[in-house]
Amino acid sequence: MLRLEKVSVDIAGAPVLRGVDLVVPPGARVALIGRNGAGKTTTLRTLMGLLPARGGISIDGQPCTDAPAHRRAALGIGYAPEERRLFGSFTVLENLRLPAEVLKLPEAELKRRLEMVFGLLPELREFGPRKAAGLSGGQGKMVALGRALMVGTRAVLLDEPFQGLAPALALRYAEALGRLRALLPDVALLITESSPDLLRGLVEQTFVIERGEIQPAAA
Amino acid sequence: MMAWLSDNGLLLGLAVLDGLASAASIFMVAVGLNLVFGVLRILNVAHGSLYAIGAYTAASITLFLTSHGLPVWLSFPALVVAAALVGVILGPLIERVLLKRVEKQEPVLQLLVTFALFMILEDVQKLIWGVQPVSNDTPMRLLGTIDVPFGADVIPFTAYQLFVLPGIALFTLVGLAWFMRRTLTGRVIVAVTTDREAATSQGIDSAKITMLTFTFGAMLAALGGALASPMSSMVPGVGASTIVLSFAVVATAGLGQVEGAAIAAVMIGLGRSIAVYLEPELEVVVPYLIMVLVLLVRPQGLFGVTETRRI
Ligand SMILES: Nc1ncnc2c1ncn2[C@@H]1O[C@H](COP(=O)(O)OP(=O)(O)OP(=O)(O)O)[C@@H](O)[C@H]1O
Ligand SMILES: [Mg+2]
Repeated sequence: MLRLEKVSVDIAGAPVLRGVDLVVPPGARVALIGRNGAGKTTTLRTLMGLLPARGGISIDGQPCTDAPAHRRAALGIGYAPEERRLFGSFTVLENLRLPAEVLKLPEAELKRRLEMVFGLLPELREFGPRKAAGLSGGQGKMVALGRALMVGTRAVLLDEPFQGLAPALALRYAEALGRLRALLPDVALLITESSPDLLRGLVEQTFVIERGEIQPAAA
Repeated sequence: MMAWLSDNGLLLGLAVLDGLASAASIFMVAVGLNLVFGVLRILNVAHGSLYAIGAYTAASITLFLTSHGLPVWLSFPALVVAAALVGVILGPLIERVLLKRVEKQEPVLQLLVTFALFMILEDVQKLIWGVQPVSNDTPMRLLGTIDVPFGADVIPFTAYQLFVLPGIALFTLVGLAWFMRRTLTGRVIVAVTTDREAATSQGIDSAKITMLTFTFGAMLAALGGALASPMSSMVPGVGASTIVLSFAVVATAGLGQVEGAAIAAVMIGLGRSIAVYLEPELEVVVPYLIMVLVLLVRPQGLFGVTETRRI
């Protein structure tokens, strides 16, 4: 369970999140919709502990407003940032393994998760030995999703995953997210997008963010 | 040409030897500077002071050994021990007390802070080691010389300059490349260098890695100094000339380039020492001449890559 309670965040002196409340229950599929500059990325970065915030942030009941950001992975939160942010000089496989290795997961568990990711996104097995810098934007998005799933045992945060994907790839991506529900029913998903259309059928709950304020979407 | 060579061959041979030896030590400093810049994004002007303190410390340890009748061969491990001591004591201290606090400040302020630190460390050196030249030639004398025929002449190369120094630099080069690619800690350092926030989201304690890397970089600078200490005596100001030389090496090679820094160090080391033997007035300018020429043609440095960020 991810919870934001009256959370406010300022960036460069200007308020970007204004006392937002957001709850993502275990296994829930939640969309956060908002136009450019509304504060979607800021919401996810705040959940990841990457920005100084006021108010209450908790993960599975543990308050972690001031907990160091790097502990999020250990708490089972996977994050696929808007611009992929893969490590270009590493291979795809090294990118996928890195968060699990940092967590000191036993090799058997690491392999198990890797197989789960390959099962969901078979193209990643092929990309494995390639340098991440040589991937196309869409391929990179797939790798970023796979990487988030390597440690995201409780929740996975996806920042505009469909942005910039060619229609065929967007379809593949949506289909993979759909299968995720059956594959990992306990893992919560929080997905941001600028339009709700792409997420239709993938989420059961939608929130709207506008100028740093989050509201449940009108049904 | 041949006549010139036979007249100057001996000089040139000595120049090459000197140049390679100084390249080896400057390489260590430059690589450390690169590592530190990578994780901190701060150009640490005081990095040269760590070189100087490493050199002085090595000399002090050797002096202690010889004055207490301890085995002289210990002066070799003393070079490494000096570097480790300087790195482990000063590294975390400087990073935690000073640089971490200005992490989010303007680059100009960061630069000023490291410059202030440089000035402080210069004074600390004068307080501890005085202003008279300090020398540490025990390791060099122990290994003696090797006569190498050079044309009609025979050059007495010192074994220390010929083998020990380039050997350790080469070992550092290969070891570092292996460490960065093949170990988890190495990959984690690369990750923090590439994208600190992304690394943090992957579970990496970037603050800890930064301190670790800073300490490691400080150790490399101190090792550069310790290894150079047997070749020439230390005087105040050695830190300043070291930092400008290693800036030149890093700029010539391109930021973040390890193998490139080795090649740039050899170019600049050789250029400088050949100048010393042939045209001493040029010694000071040659390294920067090389740097400027390279940067005019390739602004990103010989081996630097211009990062293209794809959305
Ligand atoms: N580093 C920054 N410096 C200054 N302002 C920022 C910074 N990052 C974000 N902002 C501001 O915060 C607001 C929210 O930004 P955020 O990136 O969260 O929006 P977003 O909903 O993700 O937008 P997009 O759809 O373009 O990704 C914007 O108005 C933006 O101008
Ligand atoms: Mg955004």
